[in-house]
Amino acid sequence: MAHPDTATLPTKRRLFVLDDEPIVVKRLKPAFQKVGYDVFVFTDSVAALSAFEDKPADIVITDLKMKGMDGITFLERIKAISPAVGVIVITGFATLQTAKESFHKGAFDFVSKPFKLADILDVVARLEASLGSDGHAD
Amino acid sequence: MGVLQRIALALHIRPRGTNPVPFVLMFKKFKSILERNNRILTLMADMGDKVGGEYVFDRRYIESACEELADQIFKLISDLSILNHCRNVSLFVAFERVRQEIAEELAGRHHFPDTPPTLPMSELRGDMGEAAGGKFSRLGELKNMLQLPVPDGFVITTGAFAEFMTSNGLPECIRRETERLDVDEEGTIQEASAVVRDRILGASLPRSLSRGIAESLADLAKRLGGPIQTLAVRSSAWDEDGETSFAGQYESVIGVLPKDVPAAFKRVVAGAYSPEAWLYRRRRGFKEHEAVMAVGCQVMIDSVVSGGMYTYAPLTRKEEGIFVSAAWGLCAPIMSGELETDSYLIGRTAPFPVLSQEVVRKSQLLALSARGGTAYADVVPEHAEAPCLTEADLSLLGEAAISLEKYFKRPQDVEWTIDAMGRLYILQSRALVFYGEPQRRTGAIDAATSRAEVLFSGRGDVVQRGVAMGQVYVLRTEEDLDDIPFGAILVTHYTSPRYSRVMARAQGILTDIGSPAGHMAAVAREFRLPTIVGCGVATQLLHTGDEITVDATQNVVYRGLVKELRYFELTEETVYEDSYEYRLLRRVLKKITPLQLVDSHAPEFTPTSCRTYHDIIRYIHEQAVAELVELSENRQGILDASASKLRSPLPLNLSIIDLDGERLGGMAEIEIEQLPSLPLRELLTGLLGSGMWETEPVPVDMGSFMSSLTRNLGLGAPGSEKLGRNLAVVSQEYMNCNLHLGYHFVLIDAYVGDNTNDNSLYFRFLGGVTDFSRRARRVRCIGNILERSDFRVEIHGDLVVGRIKQFEKETMCAKLRLLGGLVGFTRQLDVRMARENDSHCFAEEFLAAIKPVLEESYGTS
Repeated sequence: MAHPDTATLPTKRRLFVLDDEPIVVKRLKPAFQKVGYDVFVFTDSVAALSAFEDKPADIVITDLKMKGMDGITFLERIKAISPAVGVIVITGFATLQTAKESFHKGAFDFVSKPFKLADILDVVARLEASLGSDGHAD
Repeated sequence: MGVLQRIALALHIRPRGTNPVPFVLMFKKFKSILERNNRILTLMADMGDKVGGEYVFDRRYIESACEELADQIFKLISDLSILNHCRNVSLFVAFERVRQEIAEELAGRHHFPDTPPTLPMSELRGDMGEAAGGKFSRLGELKNMLQLPVPDGFVITTGAFAEFMTSNGLPECIRRETERLDVDEEGTIQEASAVVRDRILGASLPRSLSRGIAESLADLAKRLGGPIQTLAVRSSAWDEDGETSFAGQYESVIGVLPKDVPAAFKRVVAGAYSPEAWLYRRRRGFKEHEAVMAVGCQVMIDSVVSGGMYTYAPLTRKEEGIFVSAAWGLCAPIMSGELETDSYLIGRTAPFPVLSQEVVRKSQLLALSARGGTAYADVVPEHAEAPCLTEADLSLLGEAAISLEKYFKRPQDVEWTIDAMGRLYILQSRALVFYGEPQRRTGAIDAATSRAEVLFSGRGDVVQRGVAMGQVYVLRTEEDLDDIPFGAILVTHYTSPRYSRVMARAQGILTDIGSPAGHMAAVAREFRLPTIVGCGVATQLLHTGDEITVDATQNVVYRGLVKELRYFELTEETVYEDSYEYRLLRRVLKKITPLQLVDSHAPEFTPTSCRTYHDIIRYIHEQAVAELVELSENRQGILDASASKLRSPLPLNLSIIDLDGERLGGMAEIEIEQLPSLPLRELLTGLLGSGMWETEPVPVDMGSFMSSLTRNLGLGAPGSEKLGRNLAVVSQEYMNCNLHLGYHFVLIDAYVGDNTNDNSLYFRFLGGVTDFSRRARRVRCIGNILERSDFRVEIHGDLVVGRIKQFEKETMCAKLRLLGGLVGFTRQLDVRMARENDSHCFAEEFLAAIKPVLEESYGTS
C-alpha cells in the first residue's frame, strides 16, 4: 500500500479490468482506485490488448467469455508481451475445465461471477503479495 | 399450451379419485416439495442479497438466476401435480403469467402500469416513476420511505394523461406538428407550439379523470381535516429529476383553487409544448412518444421562508459543508433567481453549526392571495435586513440534507419551504450534478485510507454498501433506541428488525452477530443504509462517542473521519443504485419476492390470485400439507407389513411406518428412545412425561355417555388391541400421526428440522359423541389452550384445527410436547367437564401442568 509521502508520485500500479459487461468494469473501477491502483477499464478485448501493447499493466482482471477475442486468447497474448503480469480470470460460466485451462495459461486465480467486491480485492491482495514489493512489470 | 397438455397427459393416467401412487411415494413427493420449496427460498434470498451492492453481478446473472428459479418452480408445481392428481392446471397458468412478466422485463419491455387516474401521495414510491413521473415518485419516496416532510396531495397518473391526450385526438395533432418541425425546426417552433398548446388548453378531461380528481380532492380535504385552501399543480414527467434534469423546463401553477385543478392540469400539460421545453427534449434525443407526463397536485404551504440547498457544497476545497440559500415568502421566485437571497454554509454533522453566512437586503416576497393565486408584497422593514433562518431552521435543513444524501448516495439539490409554525417541507430533491476533480478523487484516497487507523476489516457481511461517517452509538438495550442521536452509527450486538425505526436517523449500522439474509438486512437495504452485520467485535472495540468511518463497500472500519472517502463516494461517476442492472434486478424481484397470499383462509387463497413466485410456492406448501392430511386419512395403499410397533407403558397401539427405510425392521416392537423421528419422540415425551394420561381408570361418571369407553383405555385394560389402530408415518424430521383415542380422533402432522422455514405443525382434534354443550365447552377449552400457545386456531363445530409454522426447531419441539400433553389431557377432559363448569379453568390448569415438560431441552427422551 502506498506510503502517504509517495502517494502523489506516479508510482501506482497499473491495473486493467476487461469485461464486456459495462456494469462489471464500472463496479470494479472505483473499488480498485480506492485501494490505490491506477485503473483502466475496457469492455472490448482488442482495445484492451492494444492498450497493453502500448504499456503493459501489472495486474489484469479479465472475463473469459467475450465477443471477439475471448479471455483465454487475451491471456495468452498479454502473457507473451509481459510474462510478469498477474492475471485474474472472472467468469459467469464457471466450469472446472475453463478454470484448469486458465491456470494452465498462467492465470493467478479464478473468480466466478457473481462475486463479492471483498473477494476480488482479496485475490488481488494475494497476487500483490506473490508479485513482491518491486515486482513491477515493465 | 403444449407443455400443459403434456403434463396433463402424463399425469392423467388414472381417473381422478383413485390413488395411483403408493402412499410411501406420496410422502417422498411431499418431502421433495419441502426441500425444493426451501431451495427456491434460498435462491430468492440470494437474488435479494445482490441488491445490497456487495456483489458484482451482471445481466447474465439476472437472466440465469431467473431461469433457475423458473425451472425449480415449474418442478415444484409438477411435484404437487402428483400429490393432488393434477388438479393444479391453474397453478401452471399463474406460473406462466409471472414467468412471462419477468421475461418481458428482461427483454426491456415494461409493463405499462395499470393504475387509477389519480394516486394519493401516500401510495407513491421511488420505483413508480412510470405511473407518477420522476418528480412525484421521488417525492413519494421522501415522504413514505424517508419520512421527510413533503406537502400532502395526489398525482394525476401517466395513464390518465395518455387517456386525456388520446381522447382529444392530441397525439395526431402533435405528430403533424412534429413533421413540420422535422423539416424546419427553427422556423416553425413558435407556430407549432402555439397550435398544440391551444388544442391542449381547449381539450376536455375524460369523465374518469374529472371524477378521479374530485375524489382525490375530497380525500385530501378529509386527511387535512378541513377545506383545502390552494394547491400547487406541478409537472412530473418521465425521467424528470432522474438521469436528465428538466429543471425549470416544465410549468408549475401555484396558488390553484381546488375547483381550478382541471384547468391547471391542462396548463401544465400544455407547458410541455412550450418552444423551450419542446426544443430541449428534441435536442436531448427524446422521442416524441417519451413525452409522457404525470401531474402532481399538492397543498400549498403558506410559506414564511423558502429556498434552495446543496447538500454537499463544492465551494471550498478544504471545508465540506451544506450550502443553503433563503428568502422570505414562497419558493418559486427564489428558485428562478428573481429575488435576492441570504446564504449560509453549515457543517455536515449535527448540530450543523453555521460556518459562514451572508445576509442581504430583501425587499420583496411572493405570498398567497386570499382568493387564490399569488401576489408580490413588500417585506416588512424589520425583516428586510434580518437573516431569514434561525439556528433551529438550519439544523432542520441539515438533518434533511444528510438524510437525502445518504439515501440517494449523491449530493442533492433541494427546494424547501418553512411555514409559520416553523415546520420544514421538502418541495423537491434532485441529484446535484458535479464531478470531482479526478486528481483529488484518486490521488488522495489511498493516502488517506492508508494513513487512517483500521479498527477492523473484512469481518462480517456487508448488507448494504456505502460510506458512513459519524459518532458511534453503542446500543445496550432496546429501550435506548430512541436516544440515538441524528447521524450516529448504530453499533449493537444483535440484528433486530426493531432497528428499522431509527434507520432514517442513523448513518450506518454495525453488529457483532447477525445474518445478511435477516429481516433487518432487508430493511437496511430499503433505506440504503451502509450496514455490516456479524463483525464479531464491534461492541467490544467501539464506544459511544467514538468518531469512525465505515466503508461498507470495502468492508473496513476506520478510526476518525476519513473525509476523502466521502468525497470519493459522492463524486463517483456512476452510482451503483442508478445502474441499469440494479434497476432491472429490483424490477424483476418485484415479480418474485413479495408475498401477498398470506392468509390461507382468505377466499383469495387460490392459484389465480398468485401474483409472484413467492405466492406460488406459499400456495403449494399449504396445498401439499392439505393433500397429505387428506391422503393419510384415506389409508388406501398403506402396507401394514412395513409397520413396526411402539412399546410403551400406555396402550397406544401405535404402528409406525418409517419413510426413511428399514431402520426399524419388520414388525419389531421398539422403545420411544429408539424412534428415529424427532417429532414423534417429542410428542410421546409430552404424552408420557406430562402425566396427563391418567393411568387410573377415569372415575365412573354415569352422566357421561362415553365413560365406560374411556375406562377401557386404561392401562392394561383388556381389549385394547381391538381398539382403533393408531398410526404414525414418520421420517427423521417428519411425523404424520393419526390417533384414535377412545372417542376422539387426533391428527398431528409435523415437520421439524434445522431449517426454520420448513417447520410446520398441524393439529386436528375431532371429538366424539357426547352432548352438545359439553362438546362446545371441550372445543373451546382446546382452542383456548392452542391459541395461548401461539397456534392459529380454527373451530368448526366439534372440530378444532391448530396450525403453527416456521418456528425454530427447539420451539417446535416444545409445541410437540405440549400437544402430547394435550392428547392425554383431552382423553379425560370430557368426563371431567361433566362435573366442572368453566372450560377456561381447564385451560389454565393444563397450561400450568404442562410447563415443566415444555422447559425440558429437546431430544432428551
